[in-house]
Amino acid sequence: MDHVLELPRVPVVTWRREPETLAETIRAVASGDQDAFARLYADYVRLVHAIVLGRVPRRDVDDLVQDVFLTAYVRVRELRDPAAFGGWIAAIARNRATDYLRQSPRQEPLPEEVAGGDPIEAETLAVLDVVRKLPDAYRETLLMRLVEGMSGNEIAERTGLTPASVRVNLHRGMKLLRQRLGWTGHE
Amino acid sequence: MNDDYLWDASGPPDPDIQRLERLLGRLRGTRNAGEFRVKADAADLAVVRWTSARFLAPALAAAAAIVMMVGATWSTVRVASPPSTFSYWPVAAIEGRPRIGSTALAGSGRLAVGQTLVTDAVSRARVEVGTIGEVTVDPDSRVRLVSTRDGHHRFALASGTLRAVITAPPGQFVVETPSATAIDLGCAYTLHVDEDGSGLLRVTAGWVSLQLAARESFVPAGASARIDSALGPGTPRYDDEDREYQDAIDTFDFDEDPGRRASALRALLARTHSGDAVTLWHLLSRVGEPDRAAVADALADQVAIPAGVTRDQVLRLDRDALDAWWNALGLGDATWWRKWRLENW
Repeated sequence: MDHVLELPRVPVVTWRREPETLAETIRAVASGDQDAFARLYADYVRLVHAIVLGRVPRRDVDDLVQDVFLTAYVRVRELRDPAAFGGWIAAIARNRATDYLRQSPRQEPLPEEVAGGDPIEAETLAVLDVVRKLPDAYRETLLMRLVEGMSGNEIAERTGLTPASVRVNLHRGMKLLRQRLGWTGHE
Repeated sequence: MNDDYLWDASGPPDPDIQRLERLLGRLRGTRNAGEFRVKADAADLAVVRWTSARFLAPALAAAAAIVMMVGATWSTVRVASPPSTFSYWPVAAIEGRPRIGSTALAGSGRLAVGQTLVTDAVSRARVEVGTIGEVTVDPDSRVRLVSTRDGHHRFALASGTLRAVITAPPGQFVVETPSATAIDLGCAYTLHVDEDGSGLLRVTAGWVSLQLAARESFVPAGASARIDSALGPGTPRYDDEDREYQDAIDTFDFDEDPGRRASALRALLARTHSGDAVTLWHLLSRVGEPDRAAVADALADQVAIPAGVTRDQVLRLDRDALDAWWNALGLGDATWWRKWRLENW
């Protein structure tokens, strides 16, 4: 347990909005409420960042994340079920990343990341490269946990997946990642 | 090995996952840096700041759509939703010319939700946080007002230093940083964040909760906690501890070499004396199972295990047992904090 005064299975840094509250936030955003949009951004930016980071070169990740939220802001009134916002913006993120790769002049699936001589940086990029080659469900879930610091419950809440599905993705993804990194000390 | 640590960083730490957190945590986005902002101009129309010309064309097209959308809805919103009393915070320049967005502040101004207050090397500003306190923003800082409403006020410190004095009930004032969230528990504190997301929290009155996902530190008055850009909150330590002791805590918290971390832990346990209970209590849940008994013994030398709590419960990291031992430190009752969080988070 790497936490204190913590109830098991209770997310720590998550605004635990009830569905109707999320619906109110979505409606407020659709009406141009920037405070509401700021809250929505704060709640979902890690999900979007993880999805994009798993697909495109780092140098363009922040711009694409902005692009995703801008698209969401413009199209939020098309969202019929506010409870589905997480899955909806995740789909926007995946589509935007796909568009980026399609439009990339080099037509490469994923340009190689280049470390600048720092050994930690080099190892980080090497691990990221392995994670990016994992199946989508494992890749996204692991990046949310290991890069963004989201808990399993928070991932489930944001993505709309069941906690059981998230747990399976984390477990199997980690097992596969260990194998591919050659880290066989555990599992 | 169970998956508790993988799930939410609870349970015994998994060395592989900790290593991955250290490496991949460096890639965390600058989500609190305010790079993406929808902000109101004088006409209350949304404009968007873009950081790269690569996406300028679609950005302009989309921004135009936003302008049309917001423009179309604005008259309705203005009638239906009068501005909140707390939709902005008063700001006063203390030194130099701080900026709110691109506007240099002359004397005083207002910081609206979504706007960023920027100080340069020679400017400082004071922000009134509703009716609950004030924040001083030191030179070379960037802070954004994320949201503000009754009982909930949220700042984002992208870089620099702020000093907060809050007189409200605990939990009403929250500061996000790229690598941790500081929740005021009735206190005064200084929070510094470097450009890379690392930083330092120093508490001068009351106490502050510092969190990243399930990793959390309680920092009481007279103590500090470092913030790592990847791992988040470090272990609290009292400021009057000597440099060697504090360095050992940093090594244990953030060094990637298991040997150096083990050596640092041995040094910490060998040098415990009165006043280290807060540090030791946090270490209980941060060390691996083989080291936990030694930490528990060191803590028991400072503060006896409370009646009704067994050593075995502590070694199993039983939540109620740890809470009871925390309460015995005399720094505050865990019960109200847990209750507040359940009701508010």
